[in-house]
Amino acid sequence: MTPARRTSRLSRRHFALALPSALLASGCASHQGTGRPGDPIVLTLLSHYASGVLKEALQGPVDEWNASHDRVKVQTKAVEFTDLLTTFMVRQAAGQGADILHPYCLWNGQLVQAGVLRPAPREHAEEITRGYSEAAVDAASVGGQVYGYPTEVQTYALYYNKRLLREAGIGGPPRTWRELEETAYRTARRDRYGNTLVQGFGLSTVDDSTTVGQTLALLNAAGGRFVSEDGRSTAIDSPAGRAVFDLEHRLVVRGASAPGVNVYKAFRSGQVAMVVSAGWWTGSLKTLMGKDYRDVGVAPLPLPEADGKRATLSTGFMLGVNAAGKHPRAAWEFLRWLNTEKVNVKSAKEGGKATRMSSLQVSAGSLTGRADDMRTLLGAYSDANLRPFLDALAYSVPEPNVPGAQQAKSLLRKNIEALWTGQQSVDQALRTTRRQVDREVSRSW
Amino acid sequence: MVNALTPTTTERAAPSTRSSSPAVDGRARSRRRQAVVAYLFLAPTLLFFAVFLILPLGFALLLSMSRWAGFDLGGIQPVGTDNFAGLFADGSTFLAPILTNTLLFALGTVVLALAGSVVVATCIDNLRFQGLWRTLYFLPIVTTVVAVGNVWKYMYEPGGLVNGVLNALGLGSMAFLQDPDTALPSVVVVQAWASVGSAVLILTAGLKSIPESYYEAAALDGAGPLTVFWKITLPLLRPSLLLVCITQFISGLQSFALITVMTKGGPGDATNVAALEMYRQAFSYGRWGPASAAAFVLFVVVLVVTLAQLWIFRRKEEDA
Repeated sequence: MTPARRTSRLSRRHFALALPSALLASGCASHQGTGRPGDPIVLTLLSHYASGVLKEALQGPVDEWNASHDRVKVQTKAVEFTDLLTTFMVRQAAGQGADILHPYCLWNGQLVQAGVLRPAPREHAEEITRGYSEAAVDAASVGGQVYGYPTEVQTYALYYNKRLLREAGIGGPPRTWRELEETAYRTARRDRYGNTLVQGFGLSTVDDSTTVGQTLALLNAAGGRFVSEDGRSTAIDSPAGRAVFDLEHRLVVRGASAPGVNVYKAFRSGQVAMVVSAGWWTGSLKTLMGKDYRDVGVAPLPLPEADGKRATLSTGFMLGVNAAGKHPRAAWEFLRWLNTEKVNVKSAKEGGKATRMSSLQVSAGSLTGRADDMRTLLGAYSDANLRPFLDALAYSVPEPNVPGAQQAKSLLRKNIEALWTGQQSVDQALRTTRRQVDREVSRSW
Repeated sequence: MVNALTPTTTERAAPSTRSSSPAVDGRARSRRRQAVVAYLFLAPTLLFFAVFLILPLGFALLLSMSRWAGFDLGGIQPVGTDNFAGLFADGSTFLAPILTNTLLFALGTVVLALAGSVVVATCIDNLRFQGLWRTLYFLPIVTTVVAVGNVWKYMYEPGGLVNGVLNALGLGSMAFLQDPDTALPSVVVVQAWASVGSAVLILTAGLKSIPESYYEAAALDGAGPLTVFWKITLPLLRPSLLLVCITQFISGLQSFALITVMTKGGPGDATNVAALEMYRQAFSYGRWGPASAAAFVLFVVVLVVTLAQLWIFRRKEEDA
């Protein structure tokens, strides 16, 4: 064997050994930095800000952090929202969980129970409790323990089409459920074949969040709750729950609502007079409706009685630290910088300051649970439709986040749909929801 | 008798073994080497099966008798047969409507796809440009389920094409996907439509393999087209029909992508099927135990249905 051939064989063997090692190192190893003394720590942040405005909005502050901090660098990773929980699961099970997680608060109970989230250190927990609205803090907490910094918060209000209301001879948005029903019946129109031309009140069946969101918002407005205080059973089978189910059932039966129609598309086309939805929708409507957006109005959620106490639903996300992460202190430090440190706001009045997170959320058409930031930032914007969502931060009720909350939400959705389509009466829907949710929620503890 | 014969046999065998020992050793060595080489060639496939079939199967079996949230492998807690009991407990929706929907969905798909594909394949067999027709019917197979589902969803909508046709005929609109009574049949039609292409491909191949002499003999006997179809074509097409029937039924029982796109299992549980429920239990609710238990129940259902189909077709063959 010539030396040249030996060299060639050796290099091939080395290559064969090196390739899998390199693949393993690059594909499977977590990005914690090189580990050499003096080299920076690299934190990974996994969110659903995978594309568009939100991706760019988050990358801005992250780049700013990386440029100004030598010891700790942050690397963002993103997947679509529909894949977020699955990605948390798979990566965590493989020991490759990101250092910083951005979960939907509905999942917090599930994540805490599985030991994925690390409780916020005392000083951070105090800062969070002090700086955010009660609903935002509750959504980021499980069993009274704070687990992260609330990021985007969505509150629910009533969207209405001013033109359709005007054409029906109605001066303004409804303030009570009675007015809401009257407005819905007066604005609804169908053709002779039964095709819906205009829905008086849109009921969405697009997904769990929109279907359940509108019902829970009305339930909260009626003074009811979906899950009991201790989080171990449902409280929907109550006078408030019955009132909401009755209202929705009447609207469908009397032809003011057509749950089969995609409300989110129909409203844009001027085929829905009123719909309950979250604040994120304003940005989307503004972009997609163009000039017609001037017909869109937003009002606080109508109450069963005019003198009732205001309440609505709020949902949200938070940034928390992985219990399996190797650098929790660095991760919390980055979160504090992103969520609590105030910087000048260019578009605000002179001296206006807000946190980086609030600025990025508002730039993407969303809100955070920091009322002071929102006042500063929204003062610079002229869209009056965001005001009712901002006001609702003060009185909104957080979506329940107990273990099993996702399944409870899906079960509620199924029963709401069964009610709307006549498969169940109001009584049956309430009873079935209570039985199914109680069983699943108690099993999850 | 045996004892008397044994020494003779041994005596005969012994010299032979002794005399050909180097040759036999060589052959054995060569056979062993061949076996090693064969196993080496098989190794990637065996490894593939071990990693992607046996390991997941074993893990699923373990999970079906455990409680696991999906995050930490150390958090798997054994619960015995609780997950299976939970599926069939009072108030559980797994047996009805979920498993019932699954069977109805698969059965409806098979019946419609089979009937449609037999008609289409027979027509194509008597047409010119057969390749073109087969390609046209095969197109839905190469189209993604998401596209197929969304297009049909728009067609079914209150202002969509199907209702437009109904309205043009003077009939009222129907809420195909929103009415719990029509939602499942509406999705079955789409699944059957999407499955016809592959079935047509198999059946046209089956039709080509039927000897022409049978048809010539039937023509001489004066048999009409219907008699020829019932007495010759259909019986001789039985192996292809069996293949179509089994594959369509299995894919029908496991299918959930089309339902996810078109109805997400709703309204209520009207179109919820076992595979969709398993996916939700595991990936949305973090309940991997019940999801794995449901997977094993579905596996048993698929096995029983497939064996039943094989048995029915074999009996018919024996009768014939």
